[in-house]
Amino acid sequence: MLNRNAEALFWVGRYMERAENHARLLDVHYHVQQEGLAEDAKEVQQGRKWARIVDALGSRQAYEQQYGASYTEADVLHYVTLDRDHPNSLVCCVNYARGNLRTLREKVPSEMWDVVNGFYLWLREQRQEELQHGSPHEFYQRIKEWAALFLGTSQSVMPRENEWHFIECGRYLERSENTLRILLSIRNACMDEALDTSSGGYAYLQAVLKSVSGYQAFRRYYADNIAIESINEFLVLHPAFPRSVYFAMHQMEDHLRGIGFQDAQLRAAHGKIIRQAGKTIAELSCLEREDLAGDPGGEIVAGLLHASQVLGEAFAKTFFRMGEASA
Amino acid sequence: MSTARQSQQHFYDAMSYFDEMFDHDLSVRPHYEAVNRLFSRLKPSDLALRQHALEQRMMEEGITFTLYAPDQQDPLERTIPFDYIPRVIPHHEWEMIDQGIRQRVKALNAFTFDIYHSQNIIASGIIPRRMVVGNRYYRPEMAGLQVPYNAYMTTTGIDLIRDEKGRYYVLEDNLRSPSGFSYLFKGRTLMSELFHDLYLSCSVQNIEHSLNVFLGSLRALAPHGKRDPLIVLLTPGSFNSAYYEHTFLAQQMGLHLVEGRDLVYKDHKIYLKDLRGLRQVDVIYRRIDDEYLDPLAFHPDSLLGVPGLMNAYRAGNVAIANAPGTGVADDKAIYAYVPDMIRFYLGEEPILHNVPTYILAREEDREYALAHLDELVVKETSLSGGYGMLIGPTATSQELEQFAAAIRANPDRYIAQTTMMLSRAPVMKGDAMTPRHIDLRAFSLMGQDLHVIPGGLTRVAMKEGSLIVNSSQGGGVKDTWVLCR
Repeated sequence: MLNRNAEALFWVGRYMERAENHARLLDVHYHVQQEGLAEDAKEVQQGRKWARIVDALGSRQAYEQQYGASYTEADVLHYVTLDRDHPNSLVCCVNYARGNLRTLREKVPSEMWDVVNGFYLWLREQRQEELQHGSPHEFYQRIKEWAALFLGTSQSVMPRENEWHFIECGRYLERSENTLRILLSIRNACMDEALDTSSGGYAYLQAVLKSVSGYQAFRRYYADNIAIESINEFLVLHPAFPRSVYFAMHQMEDHLRGIGFQDAQLRAAHGKIIRQAGKTIAELSCLEREDLAGDPGGEIVAGLLHASQVLGEAFAKTFFRMGEASA
Repeated sequence: MSTARQSQQHFYDAMSYFDEMFDHDLSVRPHYEAVNRLFSRLKPSDLALRQHALEQRMMEEGITFTLYAPDQQDPLERTIPFDYIPRVIPHHEWEMIDQGIRQRVKALNAFTFDIYHSQNIIASGIIPRRMVVGNRYYRPEMAGLQVPYNAYMTTTGIDLIRDEKGRYYVLEDNLRSPSGFSYLFKGRTLMSELFHDLYLSCSVQNIEHSLNVFLGSLRALAPHGKRDPLIVLLTPGSFNSAYYEHTFLAQQMGLHLVEGRDLVYKDHKIYLKDLRGLRQVDVIYRRIDDEYLDPLAFHPDSLLGVPGLMNAYRAGNVAIANAPGTGVADDKAIYAYVPDMIRFYLGEEPILHNVPTYILAREEDREYALAHLDELVVKETSLSGGYGMLIGPTATSQELEQFAAAIRANPDRYIAQTTMMLSRAPVMKGDAMTPRHIDLRAFSLMGQDLHVIPGGLTRVAMKEGSLIVNSSQGGGVKDTWVLCR
């Protein structure tokens, strides 16, 4: 396999995962509202909510260049979903994944191209007005379904060879970064709103769990204890929940080990990046609930996010050799 | 003040009864402004689209109940009729209802405790002994038993109606295993997703927190203050008409959904049979009636319960919610005494009033009722769900005669009530609003504290002119919004 093929596959995994995460985050946050606020306070709070979404999925600077300093629902939904000038928007993620697969058509089963192409063609037809006028929930539900179709198709037809492992490495690395970004945004929200878990805060924390489909699973382990500390612990450390950082990191390491090389030099580099992943996992495994609870500044979560990003760069250096061409 | 668009196109009758949305002159009540604005703006094609999306979601998610009819071979699985015009309750009105429900539930709970302990209320001559011990829901097994926090009724559903002036009345108390939680929570989810524009423009009190309180109330019951109790929801099984609700609650609260055969009694304890072997059960949230709980204690033919359960319960090794025997307080004859209970136990005047009720065991009441049967509603005291009811003003003379004979034969089994002019609210039929009668089931949750779910479930008699709102009799539901201000 060519280096650039490996890189393209890795990014197919990342982009598809990213698209799904965007949809989850937007769907759930769209429907959160804090009760009991006066009309103008509500507007301020809504503005902050949309600004946080921009933080989590893009950059404020780029947003403000195009839309100005006000964070309205219509603008942010457009920026994150359908804005073709924003490289991190949903439509761009899917377009990049499609572009990458186009260069790989002889290497991956054709069904996978069909799904991503269909996804892109459908998304291209969507209009902002319809999205908002109709039901945003239905729209994001469709996005999740397309993402699930891709996942299911690759799961059932792809040979478990290097191609497969690259896609999965990309997927899980992206997933751990996304979960960590969500955690950072909780922390910011708590600082902004001085949330308490009685009313509005509760709705927000519940929304966070729902955005990662973790609400039902969380209930099974923590029952009625919906608090920031428990959610932190659950999303970072839970070994069985598939969107936890711990789970994603382990999966990524497994797939990383699954990649096989003939070339001796590459094998040495491969060993190095495996050790690097192992180190991150070891740090993660040593974390206790108390460490996370005593982390009001979010240094631990930020540290983990940094470690994920370093791993991403290591991937680029080790396998693709040309730096991150399409971050 | 705006007037309904529909009023210009169709005749909307806001005169004959109290209407939740419109005043007599068809002006829109202030708390319905936002609702009116949206529905006046939507085109018929938009309405049809949303209606379709709604029905689709309900089918896909299996939000159904099962209807058993004697002439039907296969039971019908139906989605519950859901009307998307929300019922809106102003903040101050809800404050009153919230206080009233709290007061009533406190008194009913105190009554249940009293009946199974010193029976002061009987000794004081307020309620006749035979009404209590002769009651089919009285459980002598419960006498003297200690219930955690004395919380007999973890869940209650109190049905409220409004008369022609808009005054609230309690129609009945459901204290055994009230159902309807799933429609309440699911209805809110559907509305906030399909009518997000409207929902987000109103400041509606959040109900999600109530599920957490629900779970907290069940956990609080765990014997010996166990920290991580195993809680199960005991269902009669997938053939039960409320099975969707059971699965919903189990899923949302992370309970184990079990049937009687999944549990086993051993050494005065109840265990769950699972792949890891036997695990001790601490709390049972049961959705089956008392008499099916334990074939050894009650109904010997019951296959739904767990033999020995009552022994484990008496030994204090497992909690049951609601406690067995709460039915003694929600009997339709006892209902008439609730205002007296409130005065007796709390020393307060009732905030929510009863519908004027005739106790047919009393001779003067009976004579009056028999003479005015065509103006009254007659109910069999031990039946619920809209069964065994006579609605005088709409009954045929044959039905009237049948009930008169039945009352003479067994006066203890019946009560009669003034026919109430149930309030109405608009439902959407095609693209026009049309009024239907409604009531409100308000739910309370009791653990260490008492919590009333903001809003509750609005039930709608979907048939024109009908007063029967029960889902088993073709009733539908609406999402109920309590405004924050």
